[in-house]
Amino acid sequence: MNFLRGVMGGQSAGPQHTEAETIQKLCDRVASSTLLDDRRNAVRALKSLSKKYRLEVGIQAMEHLIHVLQTDRSDSEIIGYALDTLYNIISNDEEEEVEENSTRQSEDLGSQFTEIFIKQQENVTLLLSLLEEFDFHVRWPGVKLLTSLLKQLGPQVQQIILVSPMGVSRLMDLLADSREVIRNDGVLLLQALTRNNGAIQKIVAFENAFERLLDIITEEGNSDGGIVVEDCLILLQNLLKNNNSNQNFFKEGSYIQRMKPWFEVGDENSGWSAQKVTNLHLMLQLVRVLVSPNNPPGATSSCQKAMFQCGLLQQLCTILMATGVPADILTETINTVSEVIRGCQVNQDYFASVNAPSNPPRPAIVVLLMSMVNERQPFVLRCAVLYCFQCFLYKNQKGQGEIVSTLLPSTIDATGISVSAGQLLCGGLFSTDSLSNWCAAVALAHALQENATQKEQLLRVQLATSIGNPPVSLLQQCTNILSQGDKIDRRGSKIQTRVGLLMLLCTWLSNCPIAVTHFLHNSANVPFLTGQIAENLGEEEQLVQGLCALLLGISIYFNDNSLESYTKEKLKQLIEKRIGKENFIEKLGFISKHEFYSRASQKPQPNFPSPEYMIFDHEFTKLVKELEGVITKAIHKSSEEDKKEEEVKKTLEQHDSIVTHYKNMIREQDLQLEELKQQISTLKCQNEQLQTAVTQQVSQIQQHKDQYNLLKVQLGKDNQPQGSYNDGSQMNGIQPEEIGRLREEIEELKSNQELLQNQLAEKDSLIENLKSSQPSPGANEESSATDSARDSEQIADLKQELATLKSQLNSQSIEITKLQTEKQELLQKTEAFAKSVPEPEQSETVTAAKATDVEGRLSALLQETKELKNEIKALSEERTAIKEQLDASNSTIAILQNEKNKLEVDITDSKKNKTIFWCCWLIRIRKYFH
Amino acid sequence: MAYAYLFKYIIIGDTGVGKSCLLLQFTDKRFQPVHDLTIGVEFGARMITIDGKQIKLQIWDTAGQESFRSITRSYYRGAAGALLVYDITRRDTFNHLTTWLEDARQHSNSNMVIMLIGNKSDLESRREVKKEEGEAFAREHGLIFMETSAKTASNVEEAFINTAKEIYEKIQEGVFDINNEANGIKIGPQHAATNATHAGSLFLRLAAQTGPLAHSLTLSSCPAET
Ligand SMILES: Nc1nc2c(ncn2[C@@H]2O[C@H](COP(=O)(O)OP(=O)(O)OP(=O)(O)O)[C@@H](O)[C@H]2O)c(=O)[nH]1
Ligand SMILES: [Mg+2]
Repeated sequence: MNFLRGVMGGQSAGPQHTEAETIQKLCDRVASSTLLDDRRNAVRALKSLSKKYRLEVGIQAMEHLIHVLQTDRSDSEIIGYALDTLYNIISNDEEEEVEENSTRQSEDLGSQFTEIFIKQQENVTLLLSLLEEFDFHVRWPGVKLLTSLLKQLGPQVQQIILVSPMGVSRLMDLLADSREVIRNDGVLLLQALTRNNGAIQKIVAFENAFERLLDIITEEGNSDGGIVVEDCLILLQNLLKNNNSNQNFFKEGSYIQRMKPWFEVGDENSGWSAQKVTNLHLMLQLVRVLVSPNNPPGATSSCQKAMFQCGLLQQLCTILMATGVPADILTETINTVSEVIRGCQVNQDYFASVNAPSNPPRPAIVVLLMSMVNERQPFVLRCAVLYCFQCFLYKNQKGQGEIVSTLLPSTIDATGISVSAGQLLCGGLFSTDSLSNWCAAVALAHALQENATQKEQLLRVQLATSIGNPPVSLLQQCTNILSQGDKIDRRGSKIQTRVGLLMLLCTWLSNCPIAVTHFLHNSANVPFLTGQIAENLGEEEQLVQGLCALLLGISIYFNDNSLESYTKEKLKQLIEKRIGKENFIEKLGFISKHEFYSRASQKPQPNFPSPEYMIFDHEFTKLVKELEGVITKAIHKSSEEDKKEEEVKKTLEQHDSIVTHYKNMIREQDLQLEELKQQISTLKCQNEQLQTAVTQQVSQIQQHKDQYNLLKVQLGKDNQPQGSYNDGSQMNGIQPEEIGRLREEIEELKSNQELLQNQLAEKDSLIENLKSSQPSPGANEESSATDSARDSEQIADLKQELATLKSQLNSQSIEITKLQTEKQELLQKTEAFAKSVPEPEQSETVTAAKATDVEGRLSALLQETKELKNEIKALSEERTAIKEQLDASNSTIAILQNEKNKLEVDITDSKKNKTIFWCCWLIRIRKYFH
Repeated sequence: MAYAYLFKYIIIGDTGVGKSCLLLQFTDKRFQPVHDLTIGVEFGARMITIDGKQIKLQIWDTAGQESFRSITRSYYRGAAGALLVYDITRRDTFNHLTTWLEDARQHSNSNMVIMLIGNKSDLESRREVKKEEGEAFAREHGLIFMETSAKTASNVEEAFINTAKEIYEKIQEGVFDINNEANGIKIGPQHAATNATHAGSLFLRLAAQTGPLAHSLTLSSCPAET
């Protein structure tokens, strides 16, 4: 307030005085007049004076104007005038055309008046409630006034709005206003409201700001829309930048998809207005906000994925390859694509597959690299390409391999028709443009980053320098250029070339003892480095000295002592002798003390205000951070300490190798376990099959046994064969019911035979009687007697045979039962084993023990199965034997029956004529069997 | 991902009752044993299925500390569902429910579905509030009730899903005006599938033209003989 009084007091008398009086009078009228019209007129008069006499109106009228806002709400006109007047007092916007020197003063005025206005928090709340008034005369100046307050004293006003109930939410309604002016100014108000305030940003997002703003952008025609689109984009950026919660909400709300149409500009020739360029720039920046390398890794990667899935990345790539795109848009597109693919394999793979629409089509990567090593391209564009290449290779071993492979002898296109990435990089590395040297060196270093394989692969690269001379390795060519650097006439700063090459060499040699050996193998290299470090050079050479010291340090730290002349120890002695330890370490420290170092270490993007600033690469600064300390330590250490450490390292390595050994063993055992598991399951399967086979055979054998039993019963009871069978009948195929039937028949035959025998006996006695009465003896009876004697002999034989068969069968069935129990056991074992197998996560010894156990059990199992198979084989052989015996006994039976038949015929013949009854019986029998 | 409906939820209740843990368990299936005090509001989202329909839940986890109350109040109006959480091992958090409920009823739309949650049910030995008390409070105020454990994940899914079911039913009954997004409900995009133009085809169309980058083919210095 002192300030205001000072200004007032310092003013000379004159017209100001009368104006002050007028203002005072007007204020009195506003305060005391009972007529609304009167008050309204007074406020209108104040408004007209408020621009010219901002200070006076401000000081004298502010409290009266606020009072009007409180009491005259029913009249929108007076409220409108009051708001306009307050706006004129508080805002600095209108004064911009006025003389320069008054600007500072007016800025102070604006914030002073704002401070007075917001001192009473209710004033802001009052203003917020006025914004709910739909009347254009109230709402519009209200919006402008609040925007002004926020611009003046953002944090304080934000805090007041935040604590007033639904404050933020109400302001969001402005975006839905159908009057474009209010909606557009509402966007500006929200811009000021959300600036640097995470809590408000979240509430605004919660109130569907994304949806609203994206709708407005679409309605306005995306990048072709006017300044409204620009304002919406700035607001979107406010809401998303550094606000992880909102970024997550944006992604989850599927709003990334809605960004894709923004970039459908590639192939139209609608021209590029300044507004369109601005809009597109902001759109690209918005994409970058979502995938910034500074976001939490998970957040960025999920946005990257979404951008590929919805085709946004693809759309950006078409801009990249389209015609007529302004250079700065192209540059920003390259930067955007870079961050969309960075560290995201799917996107990197896609990017590698993009082709430029040239004839023949070339990979986009190749076309981009051409621009990077092309002096005529703008500097920022070249930086962007380098960034893109770096992002393509970041955490992308596959991509690194592909790039390095284009340099390897086997893949170089001998025809020279198509240029490869590798060739372009080599070309850049050895061109006469130092900027190209630096970019190519850094790009190549990124192809080696954290990739031991490619570091070794690159050692294979040989270059043909000139016709007739032997080829020289890429590694050697780099050091050659370093040492003869001064002889070549270059455009641009020489330091850039050397710094680039040294960074490449440091990256290449770190963590790669083979590369160190290759490097040391050339006897010129170490003297060159020590020479550089030892020399007392000017300030501008300090960085190169530092880098040389780093390279030498790396050659010591990652040295595997495979070169007799350059062991760790010898190199350290060399440093002590030629440079001095302290001197060496001081030179090493030059790197991180360089003025451009910390800037490069902050962000991955190579972003330099001008070419001279292009010195450090971000990834390289990480390497320096990692190695500076350890190299210093290594240099300071005495040889004894070194030896001790070596020993410790060795034992550690041994431990490591032991651990690796065990790990391998575990891995192998895992594999074995897996194999064994599979074997077990196949064995189990086989086992089951065998079991069913055995069961089948057992049942077959059982059948045979039954048949045998039947036969036995038959034969056992038939001391004499009776009845008659058909010649062709075979016992083996006979079914049980048939057997039953046969048995009955046999029974019948038996009784018949008995009858017959009785009859025969009768007849015999009759014949005897007849004989005694007749002189000729009966030959028939005699032969019949011998026949039956022979029969009974045969039957005895058969019985004997049957008994042996029976015992054989018995032993077989015992064997089968045994087999079955064995099988059962086996199956149980298999199951138990299978159960014990699927728990490999136990400690290694347990696993090993289990494995051997499993192996033992398995071989036992296999053995048992083999035995089983043999047994089954033996069994089936026995079965065949039994079958044969059965056949034999069948045929014997058949013979017996035949004989019996014959006998019967004989008997019949002999008795034929003696009795009619006998004949009738015979006929009956024949009939029966037919 | 296409969804049929989108519901906005808020989670409210005293500090330390486990609101953030409930959300984390629901979205990430993880438990966070240390109290990571929420500053203002944090966002989380997940898709669920109800009645065969995909429903996207957008959830705002609010800070329970008194000092953030004015900020968190801004979220009541636009929410379709609220999880009001207390800690069964701390009676004071149960006693404060009335205040929370009044606040919620005052600032939210009248149809907002409120689910009362007694959290930390795994700490039975330290229980201070009986389950019956929670049930009684819910009955009295017309809320749905559940006891959950963000630690063991017991009932966590159910709490979020049952709230969604209730909202879904209210939509079916026509209680909610689904065309007013201020209610915290949104109907899914009818045609969510985007026809991503394949970049390759565009390249073909552009093949005849030469852009600034393609142009550089002729300008670029010849690569060194290798
Ligand atoms: N045993 C147990 N502990 C829980 C459970 N839920 C949360 N906790 C613990 O309670 C503490 C607070 O949990 P938060 O989820 O951070 O609490 P909050 O409600 O979000 O607190 P504010 O963010 O301050 O509002 C943490 O230490 C959690 O580990 C639960 O179900 N069981
Ligand atoms: Mg929390």
